[in-house]
Amino acid sequence: MNPAIRTHDLGKVYLEGFLMRRVEALRGLNIEVPEGVVFGFIGPNGAGKTTTIKILMGLHSSTSGQAWMLGQPAGTPESRRRVGFLPERPYFYSHLTARELLHFYGHLYQMGRDVRTDRIELLLEKVGMTRFADVKLSKYSKGMLQRVGLCQALLNDPDLLVLDEPMSGLDPLGRAMVRDLILEQRAEGKTVFFSSHILSDVQNICDTVAILVGGDLRGMGTVDELIGNQVKSIELVITGLQEPPADTDVIRTDRGEHRVRVQPERVDAVVAAIQGAGGSVVERLRIRADLETVLMGEMARNTDGVGGEVKP
Amino acid sequence: MSRVWALATNTFREAVRDKVLYSILLFTVGLIAVSLALQEVTVGDQDKVVRSVAQGAIDAMASIIAMFLGVSLVWKEVERKTIYTILSKPVSRWMFILGKYLGMVLTLAIEIAILMAVYTLCMVLQQEMPPSVVYVSAGMLLLELMLLTAWATLFSTYSSPMTAGAFTLAVFVIGHLADDLWYFGQQASSAALQHSSELIYWALPNFEVFSIREHAVHHLEVPWSQVWGAAGYGLLYTTAVLSLAMLIFSRRDLR
Repeated sequence: MNPAIRTHDLGKVYLEGFLMRRVEALRGLNIEVPEGVVFGFIGPNGAGKTTTIKILMGLHSSTSGQAWMLGQPAGTPESRRRVGFLPERPYFYSHLTARELLHFYGHLYQMGRDVRTDRIELLLEKVGMTRFADVKLSKYSKGMLQRVGLCQALLNDPDLLVLDEPMSGLDPLGRAMVRDLILEQRAEGKTVFFSSHILSDVQNICDTVAILVGGDLRGMGTVDELIGNQVKSIELVITGLQEPPADTDVIRTDRGEHRVRVQPERVDAVVAAIQGAGGSVVERLRIRADLETVLMGEMARNTDGVGGEVKP
Repeated sequence: MSRVWALATNTFREAVRDKVLYSILLFTVGLIAVSLALQEVTVGDQDKVVRSVAQGAIDAMASIIAMFLGVSLVWKEVERKTIYTILSKPVSRWMFILGKYLGMVLTLAIEIAILMAVYTLCMVLQQEMPPSVVYVSAGMLLLELMLLTAWATLFSTYSSPMTAGAFTLAVFVIGHLADDLWYFGQQASSAALQHSSELIYWALPNFEVFSIREHAVHHLEVPWSQVWGAAGYGLLYTTAVLSLAMLIFSRRDLR
């Protein structure tokens, strides 16, 4: 079985400005997204997430390496036939209504009139836009445009859904709707590949996550694999001291009991200082790392800065 | 071809919903009407003056619309990022260029048809039903604008409307002065100047081959040999320019 997405040594160098300064946005990316999973693509701004997605969708060409979607070489019209795509901050023709726009996209998929109409009405209903379907898009809010964007991405009932920052600009209700849609796609056996800054969402719904920093792949695996046994911080509950120890983050002080947070590497020194001052630690809690901790750690390791730059 | 047609009809719909198009169209209808008033104040062959002014207005305004819409045809899609959700469908870049271009041609054809209908109405009311040469001349105008739009599309694939507009205007002006350019080049004493004028003459279009306006104004016979020659020249040249536009656009990263 072909993976839904595969890249082999994928690289992209942009030539910026008048002097054609070389900026390496992506370096030898190798990822494999199996069919039927929700795959999260995370990283800071300029990490190369959108560049990767644009190469997959044929909007940019790669400088080196290759990519495939559903077994077809990326960039060919055939590779996009069973794929749905939602770009970051989608822009649509403001002279059209949502219904007209979706019919236009349906024509591009060469969908028959009846199939197209049924599908459009179903999707408009699903994202709660039926009421506004005949209003021109120039009058839509950002959240409404995002909903129409989801409709066009799902129009061809795709086997692979590629979403670039699908939760950005949405209110909590909208985010929940996107989350439900993604999980619904997975339940139907479809593959979802999406980039996001909202790490809690990625952590909650992704089967596999890839971390990209400065154009390099820094890690790929399940959330548990990526986080491993990492501890983010340790919470201590201290008694017997008038004031909480210095150099700790105080969470709260209540009836002579202080709850503080310390970095794992400093915990022994802090405990020794507490005991030395006559206090005692009555509770010690390990706070497990999350994706944010992992990503921050990877970003701290980034020595090239955002978007690697190489000399010509 | 259904995808190309979908892109073309959408381009047409966008143009039709653009208020600027209506302004130019109304202005042209106004000019045709004003040309009728000239009949009252003209000495000599009044009918010909009226026909000349009215057809000149149609030529000029249709050319302005072609340039105005053509120079931002592709650039606008890239700049506004509306192209992302189109090219992420099973649509090739060449289909996109061809669809946008055909939408523009459809807009121009309908615009010329409307103006010719207004012209016919005015002529029937004031003079007589225009002969067929007038409509063949309008068809030649469309052929000329198809070529001009192909150039505008080419420039629009890689430059902003301002730059594309300047380039297209230059092609338009040089294309109308091509014969003069050739003539003056041949008169020049410097060989370099002669070669430069020859190079420009052959590289850029000669829009005068499409002009049978004299025949239309004077109600002469249709010069069919010129018409067929110009049609062949126009279609071949347009295909070549459009192919170049597709080639350039197929290699472009869409930021």
